[in-house]
Amino acid sequence: MKLRKLFTADSVELNLQSETKDEVLKELIQLLGLDDKSEAILFKTLKRRENLGSTGIGKGIAIPHCRSLVVNELRLAYGRKPEGIDFQAIDEEPVHNLFLIVAPPLEVSNQYLPVLGKIAQFAKDPDIPAKLQEIDEAAEFLDLLEERAP
Amino acid sequence: MTAPDSTSDAMHPQLMLLMELQDLRSQHRELEKDDGAAPVEKEHFHMDPAEARAQLAEKVSELEERLDPQVRARYELIKPQRDRVVVPVINGVCYGCFVSIATATVGDQDVHQELQSCENCGSFIYVVS
Ligand SMILES: [Zn+2]
Repeated sequence: MKLRKLFTADSVELNLQSETKDEVLKELIQLLGLDDKSEAILFKTLKRRENLGSTGIGKGIAIPHCRSLVVNELRLAYGRKPEGIDFQAIDEEPVHNLFLIVAPPLEVSNQYLPVLGKIAQFAKDPDIPAKLQEIDEAAEFLDLLEERAP
Repeated sequence: MTAPDSTSDAMHPQLMLLMELQDLRSQHRELEKDDGAAPVEKEHFHMDPAEARAQLAEKVSELEERLDPQVRARYELIKPQRDRVVVPVINGVCYGCFVSIATATVGDQDVHQELQSCENCGSFIYVVS
């Protein structure tokens, strides 16, 4: 499956406003357009995953992810914080690029883990962070995915 | 984040707890399989799957203690039979047994304020809007 197909312009935010890890998780969750109760549960589940070890994988990238009852299909969002945010990343550096991945407990097509791996590969590509910083609108993000994660 | 009656406070606290338990148990189960999340979590996120499972199991026990006795009894009854104690209801269909459930149950606006279960399979249900 193409990563491009899993994002929409609505699920991309190039100027995240949050200043803390909790706030930024909530801001990313909001990009999925769920109801308030679902947002609250998803936040708790993502926090629990973070407690097992930060999903800030270094080089300014974080990939918060989990399975949750509150979605009925694989959902992704991308947020950028140009100034960086403290996400307790493994290299202790600020995080600029955040990819949120939420999968339902059961999926017919089992896309979650392959997509998680693919996003990690994409984000770790040495020249991707610089390219992400240059983007001005959501469509360019989608084009970059199309080009670099075919 | 709109109407006051749609905040998380309005959700039945035991349903919230069951859903948290469900999500934790899903994570635990997924980390058990060699072809599951463990290799991905190890490779990309430097997680120690065994340690993570131990932490999750501890949290699950802690949350189970907070279930009301009646809810706990039902939970313990369902747990060994099914992977999931809480199942989503999507478009009126219970995803525990794939049977349509009464629309009266599903259409109620305050559906999350009560702890409901599927009339067919007995799983606790969560209506996904
Ligand atoms: Zn059922």
